[in-house]
Amino acid sequence: MEDKNIKDSKRYKVRGSELIDICKNAALKINKHDVDEFEIFAASSVENEIEIFKGKVETLSFSDSIGVGIRIFKDRSIGYAYTTVLEESSIEDCIRNAVANARITSSEEYNYLPVEEETVYKKKLIDDRALFHEDFLDYSIESKIEMAKKLEILTKSKDARIVDIDSVGYHDSIYETAILNSAGFCDKYKTTTCLIYVSAISKQGGDTSTGDFFGCAREPSRLDLEEIAGKAANRSVSVLGGEKIKSQRADLLLDPVVSAQLLGVVAGCLTADSVQKRKSLFEGKIGQKIFSIGVNVFDDGTLPDGLSSRPFDGEGVIKGKTSMFEDGYLKTYLYNTYTARKDKTRSTGNAVRASYRSTPEVGISNFYMEPSETGFDTLLSEVGSGFYIIDIIGLHSGVNPISGQMSMGAKGIWIENGSFKQPVKEVTIATDILSFCKSIKKIGNDLRFIPASGYIGSPSLLISDIMISGK
Amino acid sequence: MIENRLTKKILNTLLGNGADFSEIFIQKRAFNNLRLEDSKIENSSSGYELGCGLRLWVGDSTFYAYVDSLEESKLINAAKILSSAINGTSSLKVLDLTETKSSYAIDIKKPPGSIQSDARKDTLELADRSARDFNPAVIQVTSTLSDTAEETYIANSYGSFSSEKIVKIFLAVNVVARRGKDIRTGYKSLARSSGYEAFDLKNPVDLALEASRIAVNMLDAVGAPAGELPVVIGPAFGGVIFHEACGHGLEADAVLKNASVFKDKVGKKIASEIVTAIDDSTLEYRWGSYKFDGEGFPSSRTVLIKDGILQNYIYDLRTSKKLSAKQTGNGRRQSFRNVPFPRMSNTFIDSGDEDPDSIIRSVSRGIYAKEFAGGQVDPATGDFVFGISEGYLIENGKISFPIKDTTIIGNGPEVLKKIEAVGNNLDFAPGFCGKNDQLVSNEVGQPTIKVEKITVGGIKD
Repeated sequence: MEDKNIKDSKRYKVRGSELIDICKNAALKINKHDVDEFEIFAASSVENEIEIFKGKVETLSFSDSIGVGIRIFKDRSIGYAYTTVLEESSIEDCIRNAVANARITSSEEYNYLPVEEETVYKKKLIDDRALFHEDFLDYSIESKIEMAKKLEILTKSKDARIVDIDSVGYHDSIYETAILNSAGFCDKYKTTTCLIYVSAISKQGGDTSTGDFFGCAREPSRLDLEEIAGKAANRSVSVLGGEKIKSQRADLLLDPVVSAQLLGVVAGCLTADSVQKRKSLFEGKIGQKIFSIGVNVFDDGTLPDGLSSRPFDGEGVIKGKTSMFEDGYLKTYLYNTYTARKDKTRSTGNAVRASYRSTPEVGISNFYMEPSETGFDTLLSEVGSGFYIIDIIGLHSGVNPISGQMSMGAKGIWIENGSFKQPVKEVTIATDILSFCKSIKKIGNDLRFIPASGYIGSPSLLISDIMISGK
Repeated sequence: MIENRLTKKILNTLLGNGADFSEIFIQKRAFNNLRLEDSKIENSSSGYELGCGLRLWVGDSTFYAYVDSLEESKLINAAKILSSAINGTSSLKVLDLTETKSSYAIDIKKPPGSIQSDARKDTLELADRSARDFNPAVIQVTSTLSDTAEETYIANSYGSFSSEKIVKIFLAVNVVARRGKDIRTGYKSLARSSGYEAFDLKNPVDLALEASRIAVNMLDAVGAPAGELPVVIGPAFGGVIFHEACGHGLEADAVLKNASVFKDKVGKKIASEIVTAIDDSTLEYRWGSYKFDGEGFPSSRTVLIKDGILQNYIYDLRTSKKLSAKQTGNGRRQSFRNVPFPRMSNTFIDSGDEDPDSIIRSVSRGIYAKEFAGGQVDPATGDFVFGISEGYLIENGKISFPIKDTTIIGNGPEVLKKIEAVGNNLDFAPGFCGKNDQLVSNEVGQPTIKVEKITVGGIKD
């Protein structure tokens, strides 16, 4: 089939006040039940996904989904239920299930809705204009298909050793969220996001290597295809011919994509929930120096370009900027309302809901390490000899965020006298979370964000004396 | 769930503008989830989802859309929008629908609907008490109990339809133990494609005790060695090594895209001759079992490797058509929101004939890997990792100290050839496998095996 057969069909839908109406309608029904407080969370997404293979559309999919999650508070116990079917009877079943679930859970003195007196910010610090780009709506499906096809061609053209592009795709979405609670909160916001990615297979001699890269933004025009193609190609070919090295301790230079993933591990240990449940290595460490150097780390829900920016969090608390580490010292944990009350402090606006399927847990928004002025080349020359890590594999199976142990696969290039020497693969690096923080010696100026569970940003990092296991 | 008349109308609407194939996938699911942590029932939630996925093919392209509803007008409208994405005419039309048969038939004795909320709560509270009473070093226990009751209906333009009722249950216990500055964890899960009768087979208390035993044992862990060593991999969850080192590379979508190291290797020796490996979605009540796959084809047993020789790949419908092979009933999807593609079901290295103890005795210095935190692979290169969550040093043929969590890294094709021993103690363990952002339920399995040498990602030379 020729792709010209795919007709122009813009397919965007913005719900606007529909979500608030759904919440109000559910609220009227809840009022017939004997409950103390309630909260209704409605969320919808309209998504479009394109996968290209060898210049043709492999998959084109559309989705349009909506769901409602209801939290019921009764005698300081919380029950939850959700439904994706919004007919009157399904909403009523959902409420009944939530009410019934509130009879099973444990009663806790801090289980009640956020009240205005305990919030840090009273006014929203970021609004729809930053989160929802109207220009996003101008892109037709054809233009997005063309963009993905262009990325495939561009990547392949970067290096003769690239033999296949095993995946190239584009994904975008409009998310809308509304929260209404019985304490008087009622608001909504909407966001646009798009993501494009490519993975390149390269071959030389008998060796095969893969490398991928991506870009994400609020609208397609912000995606830099040249840069994405170049990085993907480079990440693939630069490790061609890589070999295992001898096991040894060495300094490591971490690409931002790698350091951001490791910073994400640190972020996960900073939720007040994990601390209060004694599952965090940062328990009792507020005010202590965690990094050897003057590192500053923030969780900022108000970054204009942050894909995890939001005016309010998953329970309607206004989100601002939180300083997590200042000059290397731990300043605070991440809080939602419940955990903040337990620690006699205020919520940092970090109640996060993965979707309408789940209750608000504690999680990050845009979590990043402040970059320095130091350029990558300076870091490279300071390494002397060491291992430049381009990619890690097995972060989920190799890091235990509770015990703190970290051991994961790595590939990259061996550095000798401040310059790249020999590709390396099939080795592991091992440390633990607190040692990792202590081992950071220099921070780069090349801050880059990756979408994970939240939006995590880090510059290149120079870390010292880490065990590499190989031959 | 839907009338034949409407099914045909939708399939034909999808075909209308020149499609080669059309399909509808209807799914209704009810979930219950209960979580206990800090000795409190923290979360009790229920969910209900209903929807329909619509798929069509034109040439090599797949078009997909879904709706969160079974209303006729919404389904027809979605079908029209999807088929309007292409320009053409079709001579294909579905006139009759025939029900697909499957030999997989199980009885569900205690479906979620028959279980009182208090019984769920009692299960978690008992697990919590048992785990805490095991040892005073236990400082935290998190246990989760979820169940799903699901109905699916799948029909396609070949004129086939299938329907299935699925019940799944999942219980997991996470234990944290602490001594001084050292914090260690233990994890065990029970997951079955069955009702609550799963607990008659495995007592939740035993699961909790096992998780505590791991966490407490690991408090004595020493730093793992670094470098290449012989590794004995324990039964059940040890099968994650095959899943990563080989299984993903045998999924036909990777083969089709030239992104598998096992392309063009059918009939060739890819593993040591003591290795026979199978994917079997017909194993009764197992976590990765089903009556029909996500495309309505019956489950089946597929021999992947026989005596070291590669026999077959893991196919869905699309890849089997493209590669002119027989589909193997492995087209799976996370839900009606997702496009199916080839996935493993219950995948295992079959039993060999060695005594597991003698395998350990044969190692003078190495690692015994008993429990795992999962793994990851790059199918194009075969490079894989898996994380050991309970491992031990082997010294002079005997298991000695526990070692801290560590990752093992290797290359699939190389490691398969270095399997030197296969035990006679085949067992299975459940898990979730993520690929292209879709999670599906799997079991991995194997008897005790020994790999000649593999890189252990420890901290000591």
